[in-house]
Amino acid sequence: MSKTTGRAFENKKLVGELFTLTYGALVSQLIKDYEKDDEVNKQLDKMGYNIGVRLVEDFMARSNLGKCQDLRETADVIAKVAFKMYLNITPVVTNWSLANDEFSLILENNPLAEFVELPERHSDLSYANVLCGAIRGALEMLQLEVETWFLKDALKGDTATELRVKFIKKLTDALPAGED
Amino acid sequence: MAVCIAVIAKENYPLYIRCSANVEDELKFHFTVHTSLDVVEEKISSTGKTSTAGAPDMREFYLGQLYPSEDYRIYGYVTNTKVKFVMVVEASNTQIRDNDVRSMFRRLHNAYTSVVCNPFYILGSNISSKAFEKVVAGMIVDEQKKELFT
Repeated sequence: MSKTTGRAFENKKLVGELFTLTYGALVSQLIKDYEKDDEVNKQLDKMGYNIGVRLVEDFMARSNLGKCQDLRETADVIAKVAFKMYLNITPVVTNWSLANDEFSLILENNPLAEFVELPERHSDLSYANVLCGAIRGALEMLQLEVETWFLKDALKGDTATELRVKFIKKLTDALPAGED
Repeated sequence: MAVCIAVIAKENYPLYIRCSANVEDELKFHFTVHTSLDVVEEKISSTGKTSTAGAPDMREFYLGQLYPSEDYRIYGYVTNTKVKFVMVVEASNTQIRDNDVRSMFRRLHNAYTSVVCNPFYILGSNISSKAFEKVVAGMIVDEQKKELFT
C-alpha cells in the first residue's frame, strides 16, 4: 500500500518537474523570438489570458462552487481551490486595500520558477506573468474585470512572490471579442 | 573541506573552477586539475572494458582518489553525461574520509542538476549561478577560518 502511494507522489513530482521545464523552455524561446523583456511579458500575459478563459470552464465543472458574493470570497476561492487544484500550492491572501477592491496573493515557492535564476540582462522580465494573465482571463469570463501584476518576485531577490489583483468593474455587457 | 573544486564538461574544457580564497597561485590548481583529467579518462575507459561484476556499476559515480601527489590528494566523479567533477584536498587534511568526499560529490551533482534545469543556462557555457556558488563556497575550506578554529 505504502509503495503505491509513494510511487504516485513521485510520479506527480516528476510531472511537476516536466511542467516546470516546459514552461522554462517556453519562456526562453519567447525571449529568443522577441528579445525585449516588455514584449515577452505582454506575450506571456496574452497566453495566460487565453489559458484563463478556457481553464475557468474546467474549474467550474470540477469544483461545483456557486457564485461568490463578494471579492473576498472570490479571492479565497482563487487561492484555496483554484491554485490548489492546478498548481498544488496554496497562496496566502493578504494586503487588502482600504476599499476592499485590491488584494495580494503571496506565493512562497512558485512551482513555475523552480531552478530558475534570472540573468542580469533580463531583470525586467516577469517570469510567471502567465499566472497574471490566467487570473485576469478567468475572472473576465466570470464578468469581473480585474487588473493583475506582480508586486514582488522571488526571482528578483525578494523573499516571496506577490501577485496583486485589483478589481476594476463588473462587466454587464456582452463578453469582449477577444484579444488580437 | 576541499581546496579546489572543478566542473569539467564532456569535451574536457572547464565549466567552473573555484579555489580556496588565499591560495597564491590558482594556476597551479588549474594545472593539477587538467593533468588529473588523464587519470579520469583512463579510469572511464578501463571500467568500460572490464566485464567483472563490480566494475560497470561504478560508471556513474565516484572514481575515488585519482592520484596522490606531494601536497594534495585528488578525487574524481563522473556522471553518465561525461561531466566530471574534480576535487583537490590537502594531504595534511586527514579528517576527511571517503564518505565525506562521496557526499560532497553528491551535493555537487545535485547543485549541477539545478543549474542545468535553469532555462536560462546554456549547456556547455560557464556556470555563473549564485546557488551553485553557494554550495561550492560551503565546501571550499578557508585557510584563515581553519586557523581560527584550531
